[in-house]
Amino acid sequence: MNWIIAFPELVLTLCGLVILTVGVVQKKSTNPFAACSMLTIAAFAITGFLVTVSPDGSGYEHVFVNDGFARFMKVLSLIGGALATIMTLSYRGTSGGGRFELPVLILFSTIGTMLMASSDNMMTLFVGLELSSLAIYILCAFDRDSVVSSESGLKYFILGSLASGLLLYGISLTYGYGGTMEYGAIRTVLIQSGGASLGLMLGIVFLIAGLAFKLSAVPFHMWTPDVYQGAPTPVTAYLAGAPKIATFALILRIMAGPFGALAPQWQLLIEMISVLSMVFGSLAAIPQTNIKRLMAYSSIGHMGYALMGLAAATPGGIRGTLVYLTTYLFMNVGVFAGIAAMRRKGHETTDIADLSGLGRTSPGLALMMAIFMFSMLGMPPTAGFFGKLMVFSAAYGAGLYGLLAIGAITSAIGAYYYLRIVKVMYFDASAPAFDTRSPSLAFLSVSMGIVTALFVLVLGPVTSAAQAAASALIG
Amino acid sequence: MTSSAAIFAIAVLAPLGGSLIAGLFGRIIGDRPAQAITIGLMAAACASAIATLFSGVPQDMGTAVVSLGHWIDAGGFHANWSLRADMLSLSMVAMVTTISLCVHIYSVGYMNHEEMPTYRFFSYLSLFTFAMLMLVTSNDLIQLFFGWEGVGLVSYLLIGYWYDKPSAVAAAIKAFVVNRVADLFFLVGIALLFLQFGSVTYDNIFAVVPAQVGATYHLFGTDWPVFEVIGTLLFIGAMGKSAQLFLHTWLPDAMEGPTPVSALIHAATMVTAGVFLMARMSPLLEFAPGTKTLIVLIGGTTCFFAATVGLVQPDIKRTIAYSTCSQLGYMFMAAGVGVYQASIFHLTTHAFFKALLFLGAGSVIHAIHGEQDMFRMGGLWRKIPFTYAVMWIGSLALAGVFPFAGYWSKDGILEAMWAAQSGPATYGWAMGVVTAFITALYSWRLIFLVFHGTPRDAHLSEHAHEGGIAIVLPLGILGVGAVLAGVLLDRFYIGTAQAQFWQGSIVNGAGAAVMNRMEEVPGLIALAPSIAGLLGIAVAYLAYMARPELPASLARSLRPVYLFLLNKWYFDELYDVLFVRPYRALARILWKGADEGVVEQVPVGLARLTVGTAVQAARTQSGSIAIYAFTMLIGLVVLTTTLLFVH
Amino acid sequence: MHDVIASYFPVLVFGVIAVGIAGAMLGGSLLAGHQKPYAEKTSAYECGFEAFDDARRRFDVRFYLVAILFIIFDLEVAFLFPWAVSLSHVGLFGFLSMLGFLGMLTVGFIYEWCKGALDWD
Repeated sequence: MNWIIAFPELVLTLCGLVILTVGVVQKKSTNPFAACSMLTIAAFAITGFLVTVSPDGSGYEHVFVNDGFARFMKVLSLIGGALATIMTLSYRGTSGGGRFELPVLILFSTIGTMLMASSDNMMTLFVGLELSSLAIYILCAFDRDSVVSSESGLKYFILGSLASGLLLYGISLTYGYGGTMEYGAIRTVLIQSGGASLGLMLGIVFLIAGLAFKLSAVPFHMWTPDVYQGAPTPVTAYLAGAPKIATFALILRIMAGPFGALAPQWQLLIEMISVLSMVFGSLAAIPQTNIKRLMAYSSIGHMGYALMGLAAATPGGIRGTLVYLTTYLFMNVGVFAGIAAMRRKGHETTDIADLSGLGRTSPGLALMMAIFMFSMLGMPPTAGFFGKLMVFSAAYGAGLYGLLAIGAITSAIGAYYYLRIVKVMYFDASAPAFDTRSPSLAFLSVSMGIVTALFVLVLGPVTSAAQAAASALIG
Repeated sequence: MTSSAAIFAIAVLAPLGGSLIAGLFGRIIGDRPAQAITIGLMAAACASAIATLFSGVPQDMGTAVVSLGHWIDAGGFHANWSLRADMLSLSMVAMVTTISLCVHIYSVGYMNHEEMPTYRFFSYLSLFTFAMLMLVTSNDLIQLFFGWEGVGLVSYLLIGYWYDKPSAVAAAIKAFVVNRVADLFFLVGIALLFLQFGSVTYDNIFAVVPAQVGATYHLFGTDWPVFEVIGTLLFIGAMGKSAQLFLHTWLPDAMEGPTPVSALIHAATMVTAGVFLMARMSPLLEFAPGTKTLIVLIGGTTCFFAATVGLVQPDIKRTIAYSTCSQLGYMFMAAGVGVYQASIFHLTTHAFFKALLFLGAGSVIHAIHGEQDMFRMGGLWRKIPFTYAVMWIGSLALAGVFPFAGYWSKDGILEAMWAAQSGPATYGWAMGVVTAFITALYSWRLIFLVFHGTPRDAHLSEHAHEGGIAIVLPLGILGVGAVLAGVLLDRFYIGTAQAQFWQGSIVNGAGAAVMNRMEEVPGLIALAPSIAGLLGIAVAYLAYMARPELPASLARSLRPVYLFLLNKWYFDELYDVLFVRPYRALARILWKGADEGVVEQVPVGLARLTVGTAVQAARTQSGSIAIYAFTMLIGLVVLTTTLLFVH
Repeated sequence: MHDVIASYFPVLVFGVIAVGIAGAMLGGSLLAGHQKPYAEKTSAYECGFEAFDDARRRFDVRFYLVAILFIIFDLEVAFLFPWAVSLSHVGLFGFLSMLGFLGMLTVGFIYEWCKGALDWD
């Protein structure tokens, strides 16, 4: 029994249980929130280290696999979880004060994302996805006294259940027509039979639909704006990071692995989803007045770009998607750190108009936000440029010129609303200044700003790691 | 690089250094140092140029090329930075640097009332000199064009030097645009030359010219001789720069610039670039007889036209400007009959006396605080006797009175016209003689109106006084030149020693016979220009001293003629109708219709469409869970259907 | 694609028949039955009591809490039965796995206890 390959997950789970116990047995007078958050961050750090040294292999009766791809995705997930936890340090709900369940739930959700990255079987796919999602449902509604937060949690739960149903149906179709749920076995069956039956293809469609929901890719995106807007800001930041990366891990793994032989069939579907996401994400963001909602549409668009790499169905495309997700993770956390810093007299404000004149009232924050916006729109030499460059060149290499053209056009449209934020910050009449930023948010926005602006320095290592991950998946 | 080559390079490059220092650091080092540096470097250039001229081209090679570096190497196209030293370029360099030095010095005095710092002015002057020197020392047509455009640019900058004066800005733009029109033809000519000869270097072109005499272009159903086409294109380029008829309209307006600029650029040097081009391209033009005829006709007509207009202008500088235009006509006439030596001779003497006249006029204007209307002057000779004296010298030289400079060169040209013995040449001769009369007439009209009689504006002339040494000194130098240049240079430029002097840098071809026959022109014909000149002086005395009311009554009785001349033969109005208005109408159509209508409306429409779609897209986000779930299911159905269709 | 759709044809037939029979029964009673409604007849029937409130009212959230906690531990037991039966086959690893699972549930139990979810007041 090769149980050691899941050692990082086991350690993180144990840490989660311990932190939960520690948190709950405290006296009423002490608030264990800060301590639990720090412990969670430490747990993420330890797990991250363990992931990097964990061995390759498959185990637990072929439900769990650990390889270069899984490690890459797990490290990204852990980084996403850790950054979101750092952001929660300054979080104050409507009723004031943080509750220690927030970091613990992020931790549990992250375990789910790690499981997704390591899934080698439809079982682990579903269990990991649900573990991650259930924690997020609670997280979304975490601000119990806020109506919008409860609304976002409820909406995400109901629509998420529907998506889980689609996913399960897809899994059962796959199992029914493929005869197995193991990725490797499905692959063998497909190669031997020389093609898929219609039932199996339908199963793939349902699988894609279920996963596209988690990616908030059009047309399964409808929940995104409401949930992003209603959920507490650190949760939104988490939601846009680790779970999406893990879902990409799943979709990349099953599309490249078991269904790799069917690429010509599913490529068209991924292209459609990618095009729709890019177009809808860039268009619907234009009239938005709330920055969190705007970021929701932005994230829809970004998922479309990341899917371009998958649509190419080449190692280069997968590498492009991985680099894209890496850059997106950092700039996204940076933006949400900036949004979390938008507080006046202790109250969160999320209107774009509230950013007016930020360049004068808070030049440091404005500069960081400007860097993130330029990166989001893909301006060289920021991080976002390299991600876009790689997926675009992969699409070009695969001959997907139409996709490429639409990507370019929607990037141009997207530039409008990103630059509008920059314009509001630097050219509009000043609104009252925000409260002083907490150290954790300042740390996050500055460090993410540095990473985003100077991404070119780590581009080499990141690209080669992504290359190794992609070849672990396909090669 | 040998020492003589180095000295020659100094002559060309020192003005560039002066320009850069004054232009880039003038603000830091201040006005006076900037002036001192430009003048110092200009003096060094002038000394180097004269030294080179006297030492001559080394070893009787006829041509020496000082290479400065590569410029363009693209496929078979090569153009280098180099300085060509033959007698043509050496004489031009010496002339340009001398006049430029005088103008630099003069400007110190002339510009001392400026409110703004004048380092910019001096930087431009030096930059102009550099560009002009690059033009005349070019070894290929590309560097020639570089210098050609360089002088055009600085001319633009200097005409519009007083950029807060709308008329100056308009004049600068006019000069630039008219020159661009001509330059287009010039550029096409250069391109055709490269196409024909595969090189833009003079020596390479000239070496194979005789072999390709019969080459033709077949266009519009007719054969066009290559050399005629190229020659005509080059001549049109020269017409623009040298303000010949049809492309002359910018020159009088260019008088909006400060007077030293008019003297340097719009009289002595830049406008003669066209004449220089004709001489430089003489080996080619000699094989284009049609072009040469065209040159004679245009030159002769310009000569007469400009003189008649100059006759009635009230503005002192415009009068001299038209005189310049007219004199350039003489030079082209000579080039047209193949006697390029006479052109260059007249170019050189003209440079001295026309610069002198302009600077003298500047001295007058300076003395009476910027007034340029001759009808508001008068009786100034007692106040500014030195200026009066040099204006006399300049006018005598211009009118071609023995032994002043103009006599030698103008007589040379007119003799050549007579000796050429062809229809067009005789037309040119007749025009030249008539113009000689008119030239004297308007010159003395100027002198009498400005210096004699009673002051028409007492207030203006009350405080008139000579400028300082900076103004007097250049006038003196140029005065000496205007007296002596002719008599000293005659022997070398067109006289007995001309063949040894030019050392083959000018090719005469058929014109060689004309050169020989010049000596055998009948006495009366040779005297005709002088007689016409003296007659003109006499008539001027009669009209403006003895019977001052005569011109006014003449203008009244011949009012249509007077108006015709006063309005410069209505060229500006004609061009306004022919080109400016249609162009403006076309531009307006393109602006309102094409640009605002199509080019702008397409992106604006796209943007509107995008925003409209965006609002609709955002509206789908109603917040209703049922609709959200329904959308997901519809999406699923669409995906499934797509799959079933492609499966 | 036809074989898949065709294989579902009996389902369609079954559905049509079901709808048909149900419709016939309801429609038949509606047409044939003698209808005479009055207030007593249409009011809710509560084991002989007079109905004192509307049935569609809010329950205390604690009912749900108890129900959910019950379900969790109920499922735990449901998971324990097959494990107990196959304990001889899954070996020490299987035994330890279940202990880990139970430990996790215990942490959950501690949590809900400390949070007061088990207190009614």
